[in-house]
Amino acid sequence: MTDFDGLFRAAGVTGFLHAVDLDTGAEVGHGADEPVALASVFKLALLVEFFRQADRGELDAAERVTVMADRRTPGPTGVSAMADDVTLSLRDLAYLMIAVSDNTAADTLIGRVGLAAVNTMLASSGLTRTRVEHDCAGLLASIVEDTGQEEMPTDPAVVARLRVLDPARTNRGTPRETTRLLGMIWRDEAASPESCAWMRRLLGLQVWPHRLASGFPYDDVAVSGKTGTLPTLRNEAGVVEYPDGGRYAVAVFTRSYGTAQNQPRADAVIGTAARIAVERLRGSGG
Amino acid sequence: MDLVKHLYYFTVVAEELHFGNAAVRLGMAQPPLSQRIRRLEEELDVRLFDRSRRQVRLTAAGQALLPEAREIVARVERLRALAERGTDEVLRVGVPPDLGSAVIAALIDGFREADRGVRLAPAEMWSTDQVAGLAAGTLDVGVVRHPVTVPGLSFGPVLVQRPGVVLAESDPLAAGSSVHPADLAGRGLVLFPGEPGLREETLTECRRHGFVPEEVHEAQTLGLVMAGTAIAFGPRVELPGLRWRPLLGDPLNWRISTAWRGEPGPAAEAFGAVAVRVLKENAGMADDGAAPVRRVRTRPATGFLA
Repeated sequence: MTDFDGLFRAAGVTGFLHAVDLDTGAEVGHGADEPVALASVFKLALLVEFFRQADRGELDAAERVTVMADRRTPGPTGVSAMADDVTLSLRDLAYLMIAVSDNTAADTLIGRVGLAAVNTMLASSGLTRTRVEHDCAGLLASIVEDTGQEEMPTDPAVVARLRVLDPARTNRGTPRETTRLLGMIWRDEAASPESCAWMRRLLGLQVWPHRLASGFPYDDVAVSGKTGTLPTLRNEAGVVEYPDGGRYAVAVFTRSYGTAQNQPRADAVIGTAARIAVERLRGSGG
Repeated sequence: MDLVKHLYYFTVVAEELHFGNAAVRLGMAQPPLSQRIRRLEEELDVRLFDRSRRQVRLTAAGQALLPEAREIVARVERLRALAERGTDEVLRVGVPPDLGSAVIAALIDGFREADRGVRLAPAEMWSTDQVAGLAAGTLDVGVVRHPVTVPGLSFGPVLVQRPGVVLAESDPLAAGSSVHPADLAGRGLVLFPGEPGLREETLTECRRHGFVPEEVHEAQTLGLVMAGTAIAFGPRVELPGLRWRPLLGDPLNWRISTAWRGEPGPAAEAFGAVAVRVLKENAGMADDGAAPVRRVRTRPATGFLA
């Protein structure tokens, strides 16, 4: 047995993980059914529902919308960080939401898609323990209410009372349900094959190299994924594809004991744990 | 019928072998005592005393039952005493093992003076185990090193400790009166296990001040330092084979505070106050104001909902 607990502890975090071979169904879990705060990983569910509505003709993914400069959800990337009004298509907003975790892009899509529809899709897919309660603005409002500031806190006493870190009171899921959702996208079950291909492309365009991807530093291995970040919370869920055709959905959710925002080892352990899990599924190592 | 009480009367009469004296000892009149012994004899269906002559004597059956009766009475008394002690409040506290015996003893002594009604159950634990214990409800108060947290914790006043460096006496740096972190290049570093927040912060500060440890060991003791294979940071130590030197410019600020979950009880508050006093007086720690406040410069990859 792999000592995931020891691995996570050495990086200063507690962690839960689920990895599954998308073709054989073989799996590796460590607290795979624990409720976890999704943070930005919730954008995966939004992505799926967005493309399902596009498939049903309820929205036009290529429709151009203007996001006004004064109607922004705070965030460090994408439209959220831009100075002026931006006009772009809904699916390009989806691209920014996945590639750089753009909060304004996500909230604009939620305005079109609706959180209720996202939750209906999750329930009808059997993902009964995954739920999206708030948009990004709602999550930020809860932090501001708990801390009295818009900046992300590092004071341990302040971090300890954040509701956004409590799975019962925020957007939540489990490692296993998160890999199920990824499996649906990779097996063309989440939406039409064209839409699933589009989603896979967007997830492959995610820019962050420090978490899941750091565990697979091989030029011939593809890593697609979506991160999730809040104070003490570092997540990533994605799919790793090997040159021999092996493909594995992995979801890793961690929470650090320390409150510093920059903890490279806490980011990297997501990749290390994922690699150990995948190597076990591939029958080598660990 | 209260059998235990009746057995107790039996043991007293058996000791006195005189109903009048036994009644005086028990603080009751003789007739009800005689009546109760008779009721016990009926209950057990056996004669305990021979009252036929002028003297009271134990029957053979009475002699056989007396040790058992004493045993039962003694056991029930012990049970009551235990139950009474059990209702006393116990405060389960965690303290970092590296604080040292003197500080831990001062904590226990100080608390004993502050709150005599509560029994202190201290355990030496590193911060990660403490916060896990606090979250799980197996610990009432902790003394933790920062930054460390789990949802729902509250913290007492934060104290700051400025560690120096512990070297082997053979280390050339031991010749100087203080050490700059950059001078430590090429050496390994011993850090406490189970202190992930402190570890990250300490390594970051070391790197910033030009010291990248060759290797980082997690250990509870200074054996590796004594052997000359690594250095450690910490409060002044006086041990043969080791030298302690202050770090130039005090680059390290180790923060420590009490921690608890939910509302602290009066005992937890009393312990918190004692802990702050003892850590200041016995462990050379100062109020948090002494440490520079670090402004957080956010980066996209670590920002809100990245």
